[in-house]
Amino acid sequence: MSTPTSKPTQGSHWSRILTISLHTFTQLVRMKVFYFLAIFAVIAIGSNFFELPQHVGPESVGASVLRSIKSWSLGAMTLFSVVLSIVATALLLPKDVEDRTLYTILAKPVPRFDYLAGKLLGVLMLVFVSLALMDLLMIAVLQIRTSMVAVEQEAMARAMGWTQDAIDSLRAETVANGPNWSLQGAVFAVFLRASIMASLALLISTFSSSTLFTTIVSFLIYFIGHFQADARDAYLQGGQAGEGVLARIGTLLISLVLPDFQLFNVIDAVIEGQAMPLVALGKLALVGLYYALFFTIASWFVFSDKEF
Amino acid sequence: MKIWRKTGILVIALLAFGAARMPFEAALQRELRAAGLFPRKLEIGTWDHVDQTRAAVALGGLRTLVATFLNLRAFTFFTEKRWDKVARTFDAIVDLAPRTRYYWETGSWHQAYNAASYYLNDSKLPPLRRREAWRASILRGREFLERGIRNNPDDWSLYANLGFLLSDSNKFPAFRDTNESFYAAAEAYRKSTETGRALDYVRRSRLYSLARVEGREAEALALARSLYAEGVRNHTPTLLALLLVLEAHENPSIDVAARAIALFGSAEKAYDALSGHWQRTRERFPVFGLAAGLESLEKTLAVPPEKSVFKQPLPAPLDPDDMFRN
Repeated sequence: MSTPTSKPTQGSHWSRILTISLHTFTQLVRMKVFYFLAIFAVIAIGSNFFELPQHVGPESVGASVLRSIKSWSLGAMTLFSVVLSIVATALLLPKDVEDRTLYTILAKPVPRFDYLAGKLLGVLMLVFVSLALMDLLMIAVLQIRTSMVAVEQEAMARAMGWTQDAIDSLRAETVANGPNWSLQGAVFAVFLRASIMASLALLISTFSSSTLFTTIVSFLIYFIGHFQADARDAYLQGGQAGEGVLARIGTLLISLVLPDFQLFNVIDAVIEGQAMPLVALGKLALVGLYYALFFTIASWFVFSDKEF
Repeated sequence: MKIWRKTGILVIALLAFGAARMPFEAALQRELRAAGLFPRKLEIGTWDHVDQTRAAVALGGLRTLVATFLNLRAFTFFTEKRWDKVARTFDAIVDLAPRTRYYWETGSWHQAYNAASYYLNDSKLPPLRRREAWRASILRGREFLERGIRNNPDDWSLYANLGFLLSDSNKFPAFRDTNESFYAAAEAYRKSTETGRALDYVRRSRLYSLARVEGREAEALALARSLYAEGVRNHTPTLLALLLVLEAHENPSIDVAARAIALFGSAEKAYDALSGHWQRTRERFPVFGLAAGLESLEKTLAVPPEKSVFKQPLPAPLDPDDMFRN
């Protein structure tokens, strides 16, 4: 079936995209994907129990457990969001073909771009809601534990005869390791990375022959994307390391074709206590948007005259 | 549109898109690196300690998570007293999470304190090997902290921990030049203070180290006076005793007993505190003029000769030759 010449007659692009995205979101929710939240809850609560013996004064009490909660929670968020965005997107087109929903939609005056954008937005809504729920749970666990650690540290500091100034300074340091805006920035960076992966998986699924192919290739690109920055550095250094012409061409191709996922590894630094400036987060959002837009337009380009 | 033409357009668009974003991404990477937000390249040796699964996780941008797992593994090695494994695992951990103070402090603590104590008491090894292993562990702990400081030059606690290690009376016999290690400790405390976030005790600790550096007595006295002038929170027995002996060093003709009473508030308090100071031989605190001052206080307080501090046995200074005799 081919419907490349169908012209939209009713409603705006946005309303069609929104309708399709809400339908996609509902479709994915019905696949019981939110069950993983139970696993996340176990991880977030379980990370509370990995407190190892500490070696010195009050300042070390609970220091490892707060970092452990952040590291386990953000790690699980990254894993779930990337898996969810790749697998959910890879499933969408083949499932619509299998259910013959695709034929029904494309037979109507729905532009193919609206269809793809709606599908992608539906996946992104699912990822966003999942991350928001996980974020809430992480913040709750972290907030409770931070308060407990602060009380424990204060009691120990008082027993050791610390001055009030020192206790206040210690409390400020501990609270800084609890929930903060930088941590929210890190969660947003996780969402941006998942968005890029979803749009990339959408592009791959427009020409792939199976869900499995899309999933495997997407995961491969995800991992190789973490080396993109190294390839770019090697290329920009202009052969200083003595690499040959072929190696330079190889690094150039990797730099041009693959997304740079290392930029989103700012989450590690945030877990370690670094503050994330809003400007840096804004620039990361621009990068994420740039990739998502390009991959969506490229998906439409491939999909626009595809025969079914 | 024919498939080859479509593919061609897509490839060209992909390359053009890549070329357009490359300068922006390179600049953003530099910016994030300058802000300490961009991960540095991992050392080759790190991969030796990370199995394939964890390597994949680390590649996926979850280095701190892998560091958490490795920390649990290092703790197992610690309970099994496999010190080389502990050291190598912590090398990998800090490579994965270089800005986490806890890992630097714990890694150093395992080496300089736990491993060193183990070798001090491990009777299975011959004395010479125990002594060398003890010393090497302490030096490794020091080196590890210094590496942590190079990675986190604004962290007050790492500097303070280094100062503590270098001025620890159970550890400084491991260093070839005690004078140098006391000065290095004082410098570490000074740098900790300069971060602006150090706790009060760090400034006092700087004095405690500086006072033990031969040739730096004038500098130590100026610091002691400045701390003393800040108020009673700094009037610890150690600080008062050091202020007294440093003043006696500056002016050997002062009446040490009278000055001690002025500083401590009464002859009894002065005698108690100074007797304690006199007996801290292992810590190698200076005792300029202290013997004369104590004698004078004993006369004032009519201390019976058998209870005189000079009749009490003094702890022998720590000597590695004695520590590893058996």
